[in-house]
Amino acid sequence: MKIIFIILILSSTYLWAQTDWVRWGKADYSYQQKDPSFERNYSIDSQNLGRAALKSFADAYWILISDVDGDNCSFSPTCSNFFVQSVEKTNIVQGTLMFFDRFTRDMDIFGKLGQYPRVPDGHYYDPISLYTLNPRKIKYIPPPAVINNE
Amino acid sequence: MKNLIIYLFLLTSFSFSQNKIPVRNINLFSPLNIKIFGDYLFCQKDYLRAIGEYQHYLTMASNDTVEFKIALAYSEMSDFSKAAEKFAAIRSNSPFYSDAEMELMKSLFQAGDFFEFRKNFQNVIGKNSTAFSKTISLYNFSFLLTNNPLPAEQEFLGAFPKEDLAKVKNFYEWKENPPEKSPVTAAILSAIIPGAGKFYTHKYADGIWAFIASVGFAYLSYDNFHAKHYFRGWLFGGLAAGFYAGNVYGAAASAQIYNAKIHFDFVSDLKSFLDARNYFLPKFKFCK
Repeated sequence: MKIIFIILILSSTYLWAQTDWVRWGKADYSYQQKDPSFERNYSIDSQNLGRAALKSFADAYWILISDVDGDNCSFSPTCSNFFVQSVEKTNIVQGTLMFFDRFTRDMDIFGKLGQYPRVPDGHYYDPISLYTLNPRKIKYIPPPAVINNE
Repeated sequence: MKNLIIYLFLLTSFSFSQNKIPVRNINLFSPLNIKIFGDYLFCQKDYLRAIGEYQHYLTMASNDTVEFKIALAYSEMSDFSKAAEKFAAIRSNSPFYSDAEMELMKSLFQAGDFFEFRKNFQNVIGKNSTAFSKTISLYNFSFLLTNNPLPAEQEFLGAFPKEDLAKVKNFYEWKENPPEKSPVTAAILSAIIPGAGKFYTHKYADGIWAFIASVGFAYLSYDNFHAKHYFRGWLFGGLAAGFYAGNVYGAAASAQIYNAKIHFDFVSDLKSFLDARNYFLPKFKFCK
């Protein structure tokens, strides 16, 4: 048993030997758990009345429901963030349509696996740029990939 | 038994202990030994360290093979722009000049710099028949990865060996008529039957949920209006309209994502094919 164990250790050392084509550097690690509410921008743009009204709804949802309920959306960015960002990047009408489409996709509780790439915390990566109807902005990432969207 | 093992261990330790006298006579950092160590690292595919040794060697001696192997090492590490820079620096009197010309074009191709690739190919035409005959296949392939108009099929396929013709013809036909989905068709289908556009773009689960959300809320709206619950009727009606319009919009977006996916798969297939053929260039056997 001991011998088998030693052979296993030695063989794994040789099989997965270091092949460092890139020099190792110092890596800064943070073990702090991320709280999505810290990444939220609660500010309201007073210059645009329509956006201010929609942002107020989003802020109210974040403060009263989402922050209390916890990190439950399976997507990154979350559906509410997606809504805010899509309105900011397009316009109120297109942003609202993008949000309804996203919400429909979020309803699918079985089919998401294998359809989207993931971010390191396990959420499905589904950025706004894919849905603005501008083909040049679409950067396709195949589903098994884990990407860093920071 | 234990004692015997201990004696044997001690005996071998003393008998074969390190003898420093011969080591003193070997200069481990002589140019030749540095090159030998660099060659060893190169063959172990430890390219980064091999480059370090080779560059150290080149400060003491000049060697065409080593210069070429540095460029090749960068290429193996997928640092194509650096590899191109090193291949371009190989002098015309080097025995590797012709190979470097071809490898330079391969690196430019792999880096996706098709403008520079074609410029180099124009220089090769008529000047170096070996480089021309080896890289014309790559030149033709560059049309499959850019949006430039494709050459005529016969002219395009003429550059490839018989065993690759079927596969290359498939690539050519795909590029000529990519099996894309129309965003307009997807939107119209979803406008007629909610979710149909998502089915068209192979997003079946999304299509089913789009249908359920649109039709479900429309039914709730109808039912509440029927029961004279007007507030709820308008509320569900608004949601039904939102999900319906979102489903039409989402179908068009889904078609665009589908098109991006098939183009991504096409490029991946093409690169795998070229990798398997070593980009139609000869392989170098520097290692046994």
